[in-house]
Amino acid sequence: MQAANVYIIVPAYNEEKVLRSTVLSLLETEHRVVVVDDGSATDLYNCINDLPVHYLKHPINLGQGAALQTGNSYALKQGADYLLHFDADGQHQIASVEALLSPILRNECDVTLGSRFLAGNTTIPTTRKFVLHSARYLHYFFTGILLTDAHNGLRAMNRMAAEKIQLHENRMAHASEFLFLLKKNRLRFKEVPVTIDYTAYSKQKGQSSFNSIRIFFDLLLHKLFE
Amino acid sequence: MSAIQLLLISAFLFLTLYYFVRLRNRIADVLLLVTLAAGAVLLILFPDWTNVLAQKLGVGRGADLLFYLCIVLFCFVIMKLYSRIRNLEQQLTDIIRKQSIDDAKKGSDLFNGK
Repeated sequence: MQAANVYIIVPAYNEEKVLRSTVLSLLETEHRVVVVDDGSATDLYNCINDLPVHYLKHPINLGQGAALQTGNSYALKQGADYLLHFDADGQHQIASVEALLSPILRNECDVTLGSRFLAGNTTIPTTRKFVLHSARYLHYFFTGILLTDAHNGLRAMNRMAAEKIQLHENRMAHASEFLFLLKKNRLRFKEVPVTIDYTAYSKQKGQSSFNSIRIFFDLLLHKLFE
Repeated sequence: MSAIQLLLISAFLFLTLYYFVRLRNRIADVLLLVTLAAGAVLLILFPDWTNVLAQKLGVGRGADLLFYLCIVLFCFVIMKLYSRIRNLEQQLTDIIRKQSIDDAKKGSDLFNGK
Protein backbone atom coordinates (compact mmCIF):
# COMPACT_ATOMS: atom_id res chain seq x y z
CA MET A 1 0.00 0.00 0.00
CA GLN A 2 2.81 2.41 0.85
CA ALA A 3 4.26 2.20 -2.62
CA ALA A 4 1.14 3.83 -4.02
CA ASN A 5 1.50 7.54 -4.51
CA VAL A 6 -1.78 8.83 -3.07
CA TYR A 7 -2.71 12.50 -2.70
CA ILE A 8 -5.67 13.39 -0.50
CA ILE A 9 -7.16 16.74 -1.49
CA VAL A 10 -8.96 18.65 1.26
CA PRO A 11 -10.80 21.78 0.13
CA ALA A 12 -11.33 24.15 3.06
CA TYR A 13 -13.22 27.39 3.44
CA ASN A 14 -13.23 28.99 6.90
CA GLU A 15 -12.75 25.60 8.55
CA GLU A 16 -10.23 26.70 11.18
CA LYS A 17 -12.12 24.85 13.94
CA VAL A 18 -11.97 21.36 12.48
CA LEU A 19 -9.32 21.46 9.77
CA ARG A 20 -6.51 20.52 12.10
CA SER A 21 -8.19 17.43 13.51
CA THR A 22 -9.28 16.33 10.03
CA VAL A 23 -5.76 16.74 8.67
CA LEU A 24 -4.20 15.00 11.68
CA SER A 25 -6.39 11.96 11.21
CA LEU A 26 -5.71 11.96 7.46
CA LEU A 27 -1.97 11.99 8.11
CA GLU A 28 -2.40 8.72 9.98
CA THR A 29 -3.15 7.09 6.64
CA GLU A 30 0.43 7.95 5.61
CA HIS A 31 -0.77 9.44 2.35
CA ARG A 32 0.14 12.92 1.19
CA VAL A 33 -2.36 15.59 2.17
CA VAL A 34 -3.05 18.69 0.07
CA VAL A 35 -5.09 21.40 1.77
CA VAL A 36 -6.65 23.91 -0.63
CA ASP A 37 -7.68 27.03 1.25
CA ASP A 38 -10.43 28.59 -0.85
CA GLY A 39 -9.90 32.19 0.18
CA SER A 40 -10.73 31.81 3.87
CA ALA A 41 -11.00 35.04 5.86
CA THR A 42 -8.36 33.93 8.34
CA ASP A 43 -5.26 32.23 7.03
CA LEU A 44 -5.74 28.51 7.59
CA TYR A 45 -2.01 28.01 7.23
CA ASN A 46 -1.62 28.98 10.89
CA CYS A 47 -3.71 25.98 11.97
CA ILE A 48 -1.56 23.44 10.18
CA ASN A 49 1.87 24.98 9.56
CA ASP A 50 3.57 22.48 11.86
CA LEU A 51 2.14 19.48 9.97
CA PRO A 52 3.68 17.83 6.90
CA VAL A 53 1.00 18.86 4.42
CA HIS A 54 0.92 20.73 1.13
CA TYR A 55 -0.89 24.03 1.48
CA LEU A 56 -2.40 26.00 -1.41
CA LYS A 57 -4.38 29.18 -1.10
CA HIS A 58 -6.81 30.92 -3.43
CA PRO A 59 -6.51 34.66 -2.75
CA ILE A 60 -10.29 34.97 -3.17
CA ASN A 61 -13.15 32.53 -2.65
CA LEU A 62 -13.99 30.69 -5.87
CA GLY A 63 -16.03 27.75 -4.66
CA GLN A 64 -15.48 24.10 -3.81
CA GLY A 65 -15.33 22.92 -7.41
CA ALA A 66 -12.50 25.34 -8.16
CA ALA A 67 -10.63 24.33 -5.00
CA LEU A 68 -10.87 20.63 -5.91
CA GLN A 69 -9.62 21.27 -9.43
CA THR A 70 -6.71 23.31 -8.08
CA GLY A 71 -5.86 20.41 -5.76
CA ASN A 72 -6.11 17.97 -8.66
CA SER A 73 -3.88 20.03 -10.92
CA TYR A 74 -1.32 20.42 -8.16
CA ALA A 75 -1.31 16.74 -7.24
CA LEU A 76 -0.93 15.73 -10.88
CA LYS A 77 1.98 18.11 -11.22
CA GLN A 78 3.56 16.53 -8.13
CA GLY A 79 3.28 13.15 -9.81
CA ALA A 80 0.29 11.68 -7.99
CA ASP A 81 -0.82 8.21 -9.08
CA TYR A 82 -4.08 8.24 -7.12
CA LEU A 83 -6.18 11.17 -5.93
CA LEU A 84 -8.87 11.38 -3.30
CA HIS A 85 -11.28 14.17 -2.38
CA PHE A 86 -12.09 14.55 1.28
CA ASP A 87 -14.16 17.26 3.02
CA ALA A 88 -12.48 19.31 5.73
CA ASP A 89 -15.56 19.65 7.92
CA GLY A 90 -15.10 16.34 9.69
CA GLN A 91 -18.18 14.57 8.32
CA HIS A 92 -16.18 11.91 6.50
CA GLN A 93 -14.52 9.01 8.23
CA ILE A 94 -10.93 8.00 7.82
CA ALA A 95 -11.96 4.39 7.23
CA SER A 96 -13.55 5.56 3.99
CA VAL A 97 -10.16 6.46 2.54
CA GLU A 98 -8.95 2.88 2.13
CA ALA A 99 -12.44 1.70 1.21
CA LEU A 100 -12.49 4.13 -1.70
CA LEU A 101 -8.92 3.48 -2.76
CA SER A 102 -8.80 -0.29 -2.75
CA PRO A 103 -11.00 -0.96 -5.83
CA ILE A 104 -8.88 1.52 -7.79
CA LEU A 105 -5.61 0.05 -6.51
CA ARG A 106 -6.88 -3.36 -7.61
CA ASN A 107 -7.57 -1.73 -11.00
CA GLU A 108 -11.24 -2.73 -10.91
CA CYS A 109 -12.26 0.81 -11.84
CA ASP A 110 -10.88 4.28 -12.49
CA VAL A 111 -13.11 6.23 -10.12
CA THR A 112 -14.90 5.40 -6.87
CA LEU A 113 -17.72 7.47 -5.39
CA GLY A 114 -18.79 7.38 -1.77
CA SER A 115 -22.45 6.54 -1.17
CA ARG A 116 -24.09 7.00 2.22
CA PHE A 117 -27.23 5.09 1.21
CA LEU A 118 -25.33 1.93 0.26
CA ALA A 119 -24.06 1.77 3.83
CA GLY A 120 -27.61 1.66 5.12
CA ASN A 121 -27.01 4.83 7.09
CA THR A 122 -30.16 5.64 9.02
CA THR A 123 -29.03 8.79 10.78
CA ILE A 124 -29.61 11.03 7.79
CA PRO A 125 -32.11 13.79 8.61
CA THR A 126 -35.41 13.42 6.72
CA THR A 127 -35.32 16.71 4.82
CA ARG A 128 -31.76 15.95 3.82
CA LYS A 129 -32.84 12.57 2.52
CA PHE A 130 -35.52 14.19 0.39
CA VAL A 131 -33.12 16.72 -1.08
CA LEU A 132 -30.52 14.03 -1.78
CA HIS A 133 -32.98 11.78 -3.54
CA SER A 134 -34.20 14.68 -5.67
CA ALA A 135 -30.61 15.46 -6.52
CA ARG A 136 -30.03 11.84 -7.56
CA TYR A 137 -32.77 12.03 -10.15
CA LEU A 138 -31.62 15.48 -11.24
CA HIS A 139 -28.20 13.97 -11.87
CA TYR A 140 -29.83 11.17 -13.78
CA PHE A 141 -31.70 13.72 -15.88
CA PHE A 142 -28.56 15.68 -16.69
CA THR A 143 -25.94 12.95 -16.93
CA GLY A 144 -27.76 9.69 -17.54
CA ILE A 145 -26.07 8.12 -14.51
CA LEU A 146 -28.35 6.99 -11.70
CA LEU A 147 -26.39 6.57 -8.50
CA THR A 148 -27.54 5.54 -5.05
CA ASP A 149 -26.39 8.87 -3.61
CA ALA A 150 -25.72 12.41 -4.75
CA HIS A 151 -23.50 15.32 -3.86
CA ASN A 152 -21.13 13.42 -1.72
CA GLY A 153 -17.72 15.02 -1.38
CA LEU A 154 -15.94 11.69 -1.11
CA ARG A 155 -14.44 10.26 -4.26
CA ALA A 156 -11.21 8.73 -5.43
CA MET A 157 -9.66 8.40 -8.87
CA ASN A 158 -6.53 7.24 -10.60
CA ARG A 159 -4.19 9.52 -12.49
CA MET A 160 -5.69 8.80 -15.88
CA ALA A 161 -9.16 9.78 -14.67
CA ALA A 162 -7.92 12.93 -12.95
CA GLU A 163 -6.24 14.05 -16.14
CA LYS A 164 -9.44 13.59 -18.10
CA ILE A 165 -11.78 15.16 -15.55
CA GLN A 166 -11.23 18.91 -15.64
CA LEU A 167 -13.85 20.64 -13.51
CA HIS A 168 -15.04 23.99 -14.80
CA GLU A 169 -17.97 24.47 -12.44
CA ASN A 170 -16.47 26.50 -9.64
CA ARG A 171 -19.31 26.06 -7.19
CA MET A 172 -21.25 23.06 -6.00
CA ALA A 173 -22.42 21.97 -9.44
CA HIS A 174 -19.03 20.26 -9.73
CA ALA A 175 -20.60 17.08 -8.33
CA SER A 176 -22.84 16.82 -11.37
CA GLU A 177 -20.14 17.95 -13.74
CA PHE A 178 -17.93 15.19 -12.36
CA LEU A 179 -20.51 12.53 -13.28
CA PHE A 180 -21.01 14.15 -16.64
CA LEU A 181 -17.30 13.94 -17.39
CA LEU A 182 -17.19 10.36 -16.07
CA LYS A 183 -19.68 9.36 -18.68
CA LYS A 184 -18.20 11.45 -21.47
CA ASN A 185 -14.74 9.92 -20.95
CA ARG A 186 -16.16 6.43 -20.49
CA LEU A 187 -14.37 5.90 -17.19
CA ARG A 188 -15.09 2.84 -15.10
CA PHE A 189 -16.63 3.79 -11.80
CA LYS A 190 -17.98 2.10 -8.73
CA GLU A 191 -19.91 3.20 -5.68
CA VAL A 192 -18.52 2.38 -2.28
CA PRO A 193 -20.54 2.52 0.96
CA VAL A 194 -19.34 5.24 3.33
CA THR A 195 -20.70 6.63 6.57
CA ILE A 196 -21.30 10.34 6.96
CA ASP A 197 -21.35 11.84 10.43
CA TYR A 198 -23.95 14.55 10.69
CA THR A 199 -22.31 16.50 13.46
CA ALA A 200 -23.77 19.80 14.59
CA TYR A 201 -20.77 21.51 13.04
CA SER A 202 -21.01 19.91 9.61
CA LYS A 203 -24.75 20.56 9.49
CA GLN A 204 -24.24 24.20 10.24
CA LYS A 205 -21.29 24.50 7.86
CA GLY A 206 -22.78 22.39 5.11
CA GLN A 207 -24.94 23.86 2.43
CA SER A 208 -28.55 24.53 3.14
CA SER A 209 -31.15 22.65 1.17
CA PHE A 210 -32.15 25.87 -0.56
CA ASN A 211 -28.73 25.97 -2.11
CA SER A 212 -29.82 23.11 -4.36
CA ILE A 213 -31.85 25.59 -6.38
CA ARG A 214 -28.68 27.49 -7.12
CA ILE A 215 -26.99 24.24 -8.12
CA PHE A 216 -29.85 23.46 -10.46
CA PHE A 217 -29.41 26.79 -12.26
CA ASP A 218 -25.66 26.38 -12.42
CA LEU A 219 -26.21 23.03 -14.08
CA LEU A 220 -28.76 24.36 -16.51
CA LEU A 221 -26.42 27.16 -17.53
CA HIS A 222 -23.54 24.71 -17.76
CA LYS A 223 -25.54 22.76 -20.33
CA LEU A 224 -26.48 25.93 -22.17
CA PHE A 225 -23.01 27.39 -22.39
CA GLU A 226 -20.94 24.31 -22.95
CA MET B 1 -42.14 66.86 -35.57
CA SER B 2 -43.21 66.71 -31.93
CA ALA B 3 -40.92 67.31 -28.95
CA ILE B 4 -40.80 63.64 -27.92
CA GLN B 5 -39.72 62.60 -31.43
CA LEU B 6 -36.90 65.12 -31.34
CA LEU B 7 -35.85 63.94 -27.89
CA LEU B 8 -35.86 60.23 -28.81
CA ILE B 9 -34.12 60.69 -32.12
CA SER B 10 -31.33 62.78 -30.62
CA ALA B 11 -30.92 60.22 -27.84
CA PHE B 12 -30.57 57.39 -30.39
CA LEU B 13 -28.17 59.37 -32.52
CA PHE B 14 -26.04 60.13 -29.49
CA LEU B 15 -26.01 56.46 -28.42
CA THR B 16 -25.08 55.31 -31.92
CA LEU B 17 -22.23 57.79 -32.07
CA TYR B 18 -21.04 56.68 -28.65
CA TYR B 19 -21.02 52.99 -29.57
CA PHE B 20 -19.51 53.78 -32.93
CA VAL B 21 -16.55 55.37 -31.20
CA ARG B 22 -16.27 52.64 -28.56
CA LEU B 23 -16.69 49.59 -30.81
CA ARG B 24 -14.81 50.80 -33.84
CA ASN B 25 -12.96 47.51 -34.28
CA ARG B 26 -15.98 45.24 -34.11
CA ILE B 27 -17.70 45.62 -37.44
CA ALA B 28 -20.50 43.11 -36.76
CA ASP B 29 -21.54 44.77 -33.52
CA VAL B 30 -21.47 48.25 -35.04
CA LEU B 31 -23.52 47.10 -38.05
CA LEU B 32 -26.12 45.51 -35.78
CA LEU B 33 -26.31 48.64 -33.68
CA VAL B 34 -26.60 51.00 -36.64
CA THR B 35 -29.37 48.84 -38.11
CA LEU B 36 -31.27 48.82 -34.84
CA ALA B 37 -30.83 52.57 -34.38
CA ALA B 38 -31.95 53.27 -37.94
CA GLY B 39 -35.04 51.12 -37.35
CA ALA B 40 -35.76 52.97 -34.13
CA VAL B 41 -35.45 56.40 -35.80
CA LEU B 42 -37.72 55.31 -38.65
CA LEU B 43 -40.38 54.06 -36.25
CA ILE B 44 -40.15 57.26 -34.22
CA LEU B 45 -40.65 59.31 -37.36
CA PHE B 46 -43.50 57.14 -38.62
CA PRO B 47 -45.21 55.69 -35.51
CA ASP B 48 -48.11 54.38 -37.57
CA TRP B 49 -45.89 51.72 -39.11
CA THR B 50 -45.76 49.85 -35.82
CA ASN B 51 -49.56 49.72 -35.76
CA VAL B 52 -49.69 48.26 -39.25
CA LEU B 53 -47.05 45.68 -38.39
CA ALA B 54 -48.79 44.81 -35.12
CA GLN B 55 -52.10 44.27 -36.89
CA LYS B 56 -50.44 41.94 -39.37
CA LEU B 57 -48.88 39.91 -36.55
CA GLY B 58 -52.12 39.71 -34.60
CA VAL B 59 -51.16 42.14 -31.83
CA GLY B 60 -53.58 44.97 -31.10
CA ARG B 61 -51.44 48.05 -30.75
CA GLY B 62 -48.00 48.95 -32.05
CA ALA B 63 -46.86 49.91 -28.56
CA ASP B 64 -47.68 46.39 -27.32
CA LEU B 65 -45.67 44.83 -30.12
CA LEU B 66 -42.67 46.96 -29.22
CA PHE B 67 -43.07 45.98 -25.58
CA TYR B 68 -43.01 42.26 -26.41
CA LEU B 69 -40.00 42.66 -28.66
CA CYS B 70 -38.21 44.56 -25.89
CA ILE B 71 -38.73 41.66 -23.47
CA VAL B 72 -37.20 39.22 -25.95
CA LEU B 73 -34.26 41.53 -26.59
CA PHE B 74 -33.79 42.04 -22.86
CA CYS B 75 -33.58 38.29 -22.22
CA PHE B 76 -31.13 37.89 -25.09
CA VAL B 77 -28.89 40.61 -23.68
CA ILE B 78 -28.96 39.01 -20.22
CA MET B 79 -27.89 35.66 -21.67
CA LYS B 80 -25.07 37.32 -23.61
CA LEU B 81 -23.86 39.11 -20.50
CA TYR B 82 -24.12 35.95 -18.44
CA SER B 83 -22.00 33.94 -20.82
CA ARG B 84 -19.43 36.72 -20.81
CA ILE B 85 -19.37 36.67 -17.00
CA ARG B 86 -18.82 32.93 -17.07
CA ASN B 87 -15.89 33.36 -19.43
CA LEU B 88 -14.40 36.01 -17.19
CA GLU B 89 -14.89 33.77 -14.16
CA GLN B 90 -13.09 30.95 -15.97
CA GLN B 91 -10.15 33.20 -16.82
CA LEU B 92 -9.98 34.46 -13.25
CA THR B 93 -10.06 30.89 -11.96
CA ASP B 94 -7.25 29.85 -14.29
CA ILE B 95 -5.06 32.73 -13.13
CA ILE B 96 -5.75 32.10 -9.44
CA ARG B 97 -5.18 28.37 -9.87
CA LYS B 98 -1.84 28.89 -11.55
CA GLN B 99 -0.76 31.38 -8.92
CA SER B 100 -1.77 29.23 -5.96
CA ILE B 101 -0.04 26.17 -7.44
CA ASP B 102 3.13 28.21 -7.98
CA ASP B 103 2.96 29.55 -4.42
CA ALA B 104 2.24 26.19 -2.77
CA LYS B 105 3.74 25.85 0.69
CA LYS B 106 4.94 22.65 2.21
CA GLY B 107 3.80 22.57 5.79
CA SER B 108 6.86 22.05 7.93
CA ASP B 109 10.49 21.13 8.19
CA LEU B 110 9.38 17.68 9.21
CA PHE B 111 8.50 17.14 5.59
CA ASN B 112 11.30 14.66 4.81
CA GLY B 113 10.42 14.14 1.19
CA LYS B 114 6.81 13.29 1.94
